[in-house]
Amino acid sequence: MLEIKNLHASVEGEDIEILKGVNLKVNAGEIHAIMGPNGSGKSTLSKVVSGHPEYEVTEGEILFEGEDITEMDADERAHLGLFLAFQYPVEVPGITNKTLLREAYNTIARANEREELDPLEFEDYIESKLDVIEMKDEFLSRSINTGFSGGEKKKNEIFQMAVLDPKLSFLDETDSGLDIDALKIVSDGVNKIASPEKAMVLITHYQRLLNYIKPDYVHIMMGGKIIKTGDFSLAEQLEAHGYDELQKEFALNGAQ
Amino acid sequence: MSEVLQKETLLSYIGGEVEPKGTSISIRAINERGREELHNTAFPTRKDEDWRFIDLKSITKNTFVSVDEADTKEVGDISNHFLPEAMNTRLVFVNGEFNEELSSISDLPNGVIVGNLANYADHDSVKSYLGTITNYENDVFAPFNDAAFSDGTFIHIPEETVVKAPIHILNVFTDADKAFYATPRLLYVGEMFSKSTIIEEHIGLADNVYLNVPVTEFKMFTGSNVHHARIQRDSKQASHVSRPIAMLDKNAEYHSYTICLGAKLFRNEPRVIQNDQEVDFTVDGLVLIDGDQIADTHSIMDHRHAHGKSHQLHKCVVNDSAHSIFNGKIFVAKDAQKIDSFQENRNLLLSEDGKVNTKPQLEIFADDVLCSHGATIGQLQDEEVFYLQSRGLTEQKSRELLVYAFALESVESMEVESVEKLLLNEVIQYTNRDEK
Repeated sequence: MLEIKNLHASVEGEDIEILKGVNLKVNAGEIHAIMGPNGSGKSTLSKVVSGHPEYEVTEGEILFEGEDITEMDADERAHLGLFLAFQYPVEVPGITNKTLLREAYNTIARANEREELDPLEFEDYIESKLDVIEMKDEFLSRSINTGFSGGEKKKNEIFQMAVLDPKLSFLDETDSGLDIDALKIVSDGVNKIASPEKAMVLITHYQRLLNYIKPDYVHIMMGGKIIKTGDFSLAEQLEAHGYDELQKEFALNGAQ
Repeated sequence: MSEVLQKETLLSYIGGEVEPKGTSISIRAINERGREELHNTAFPTRKDEDWRFIDLKSITKNTFVSVDEADTKEVGDISNHFLPEAMNTRLVFVNGEFNEELSSISDLPNGVIVGNLANYADHDSVKSYLGTITNYENDVFAPFNDAAFSDGTFIHIPEETVVKAPIHILNVFTDADKAFYATPRLLYVGEMFSKSTIIEEHIGLADNVYLNVPVTEFKMFTGSNVHHARIQRDSKQASHVSRPIAMLDKNAEYHSYTICLGAKLFRNEPRVIQNDQEVDFTVDGLVLIDGDQIADTHSIMDHRHAHGKSHQLHKCVVNDSAHSIFNGKIFVAKDAQKIDSFQENRNLLLSEDGKVNTKPQLEIFADDVLCSHGATIGQLQDEEVFYLQSRGLTEQKSRELLVYAFALESVESMEVESVEKLLLNEVIQYTNRDEK
């Protein structure tokens, strides 16, 4: 579904390279976790894949279902079925969740030559998705993330994912700032959405999220590269020994 | 009068003289007074503190003639500008002159007057209040209106009377061969515990040069309440300098919302004077400008007595090389304790070349008051645009939605559905002009 080949990227207009040759392949039905310390490039990877204009791809390519999307705008990527759950969801006072989601849903439907939903149909549709994340329907008429707690913002990202029904989702530190109850609700939501046709990439610091959402693959990212790939045991190993050991190993490898 | 002084007055730009045209004694007296002031008051320059940011050349490079000399075009069908809520509560002025045919007044509650001033010149309230509320010092524009007007709007709401339908005062300006001036006038007298909604609208039907100088006076008696929406959609070549002022007695409420969309040069000087205790007033504004438009608001919220509540939210969206200026003065007199006043100016700059000057100004002489003020100038954040875009919205739609959200709060205070719709449409058009 997604194939990232030798991806190099830097902040637009600056020379400093943040991604230094990332390779990653994600197939339908798979859940991947990318772990790594702060500044390793995890969040940047999710932004570059979803088309953030702040970053410039200097080398390599991103293929989505065989199509090169490296130069596409963020909205075109969303139309193809890519989704990013933000680490810091943006507050937009004055626009309700429902307004945004209907506009987004119908724009994506139009781009894919699918039937758009009128306000009443959309109302039914969106209400059917509230259960995914145990949300009350008053949530729909609140301004996007405005005055939301940290947990509510993260839930809202998962809710948007449920409504827009993407093929591939990047979840950027969706677990950070969540207490254990919220973490369970969010993880449950993600598990409900997961299916053999869909794929997900979880970006996280900690193993705790992975206790609830079992990844098929765990990747360790450091210094702008994926340096190690394994299964769930890699996350456990990381939890036990921390990044320091890996860092040493990586430095050693780098020196060889 | 010396030749030098002549050149520095507004008269230089309107052909040297204004002939008094009022046909009644009361209006004629104001005409004479205005003319006198006009002759004796210098036209502002950028050396004057209150005029230092504004470029007045849209006025000074032109010569404006009176409407009779301008060869104005026919007004044509303007029914698309009528509000469905105000089909029987509408006064229309074409190029400043009352048009009875296009106006429609019926079904008003007993005793309510909505009519043209010339027709009510002998009414006690007109004789008592017309021209008495404006207090602009060293001003050339209110005196110009004083000198030149001969008609206008008179609204009188009797005691304990509520007018439910909004009253629509529609000023339309047609195309003309010559640049002309117009001086719309409005006197509102709300007796004790009366209530109404006024929609004052200015629309340029073409893209011609004219000078629109309206004066509106609101005399609000005890417990009276008015909702005053002002919508300025003048021609993009026009200059609009307005003087809306309200005088509030005890427990009176005056809520004004000025929307600025048109005119090349807009200078608005709203003033609210608290004449007794426990008043409540609003002086909100929304400015959406682009191209080389200039919109300047100089407001005064004048708290002279204790226990008053006031609120000002002034929002500006500036694109291209447009220029927005805000100077909001809050005065609180020595004995005006327990005043609760709030002022905020929020600016959204959409372009590199746009310009914003903002100056909140508090002069507080009482010691037990709650006054807050703030000013912000910001741009659409890339992160906000990206957030919406990542959900599938185009960049254009994302920007449109963000500007719409910024303006929405002000538009929603209109309280008249068709006006809200019209303004939301204007906001969308404005954001779509963005991508030229």
